[in-house]
Amino acid sequence: MTRLTCPFCGPRELCEFEFHKTVPAPGSVDEYARTYLRVADAHLSIEHWQHVGGCRAWLQVQRNPSTGAVLAIDMLAGEPR
Amino acid sequence: MSAAPGFARRYSAWSLLRARFAGPGYWRPLWSGRRLQPAYDVVIVGAGGHGLATAFHLARDHGIRRIAVLEKRLVGYGNVGRNTTIVRSNYLLPENHYFYEDSLRRWETLSRDLNYNVMYSPRGVVDLALTDDAMPALARRGNAMRLAGIDAELLDLAALERFAPELAPRRKRRFPLAGALLQRRGGTVRHDAVAWGYARAASALGVDIIEDCEVTGVSATGNAADGVETTRGHVKAGRIVFATAGHTGLVGAMLGTPLPIETHLLQAMVSEPIKPLVNSVFVYVSPGHGETYICQSDRGGLVMGGHLDGFPSYTREGTWHRLEDVVQGALELFPCIGGVKILRQWAGTNDMTMDGSPIMDRLRYDNVFVNAGWCYGGFKAIPASGAAFARFVATGTAPDLIRAYRLSRFATGHMLDEPGYGPFPVRL
Repeated sequence: MTRLTCPFCGPRELCEFEFHKTVPAPGSVDEYARTYLRVADAHLSIEHWQHVGGCRAWLQVQRNPSTGAVLAIDMLAGEPR
Repeated sequence: MSAAPGFARRYSAWSLLRARFAGPGYWRPLWSGRRLQPAYDVVIVGAGGHGLATAFHLARDHGIRRIAVLEKRLVGYGNVGRNTTIVRSNYLLPENHYFYEDSLRRWETLSRDLNYNVMYSPRGVVDLALTDDAMPALARRGNAMRLAGIDAELLDLAALERFAPELAPRRKRRFPLAGALLQRRGGTVRHDAVAWGYARAASALGVDIIEDCEVTGVSATGNAADGVETTRGHVKAGRIVFATAGHTGLVGAMLGTPLPIETHLLQAMVSEPIKPLVNSVFVYVSPGHGETYICQSDRGGLVMGGHLDGFPSYTREGTWHRLEDVVQGALELFPCIGGVKILRQWAGTNDMTMDGSPIMDRLRYDNVFVNAGWCYGGFKAIPASGAAFARFVATGTAPDLIRAYRLSRFATGHMLDEPGYGPFPVRL
């Protein structure tokens, strides 16, 4: 993985982006699980990133952490959790 | 089981002399030739530093005979062969510095204990400060260490210049140095020798080390696990230990228990060999480029590492910009290495916990144990981790040294947040 494609700015170098966190598992309701536990999936990681070196948009990125392939990038909709 | 008398051969000056005249065939493999048995008292998953050390101590200290270490790839393929070889015990929190001090004491005698030269070199670990404001933080850490009986020295510029003239601390720089915290007993250990030495010693005690054998599941009856599914079939096990470093999160998923662990990459690199230049381990946080730590291997290569890559990954492929950061930090410290070429660069998968401290506890079943969450500091912990965890596995009671590393601390609020930035592995 050497670059990400921002929905606004197009393909940019990875160093322009900052990883923020992985998204909690759907259905994890209690505060402990949402704060501390992480989804471990060798083939899908859903994450929040920010394009800090560009338009500063918050993005939801789906990646395959075993290959580095980027599966989808969307604007982060609704309340960031 | 195939006979392997070579395992038990003791190394000494005399044995080296004999080898000189013995001709070919004298040297035997350090471990190998063992076949997977259908049942064991303890099955350890992962033949890295922690797994092998646990096996060694289970066999030597607790008399457990039937032990297998199952490894997906090769002995030492993971982080024990990918780190920057640094050992130290300069932690702030009491739970951590007592544990790592236990480890450092064991490093000091490990070559003798294993009868294998791991090349422990107490060349000093130097944490550099760039501003006067950073000095009190180092002083606080140093004082906490000294109160625990661990050696620490706060160095002003003059003292730093005496200890590390190669750094030329008073030289004009864009970011001038202010001082440092020195731990003289910290230093480096030959990392591959640690894996080999533990594997050899464990093997000599009858431990079966099985490479190329991936564990794909755990079988259970009721509330107790009774074995592991592997790519070579089912293996019965009285107790199961997971020491799988960067893949521990996936082990949690396999057992249906999510863990407070994210897997991140940490890069390291080594330059072409040069004459002796860097005599200690220097840790430097550049305002422009983040963290760099640098030391020089006995072969002459400059070994460098820095911060995590910054996002979850299992690829073991480092990002270019982090490599650049590390190198630029190294250049700020030692401008004279500008013409030196990088020979190799690699990355390891780090099991980052949500407070930066390890997890040594049971996992889901009463007889399944997990030794994980070592973040970017697992190598230096190996001897203490192996001894303490073996005691935990053998007796069922965690020794005081590792009691703070229980998994439930995240739910009860007893975090050991050494880096101090909350439930995130990465804060840039």
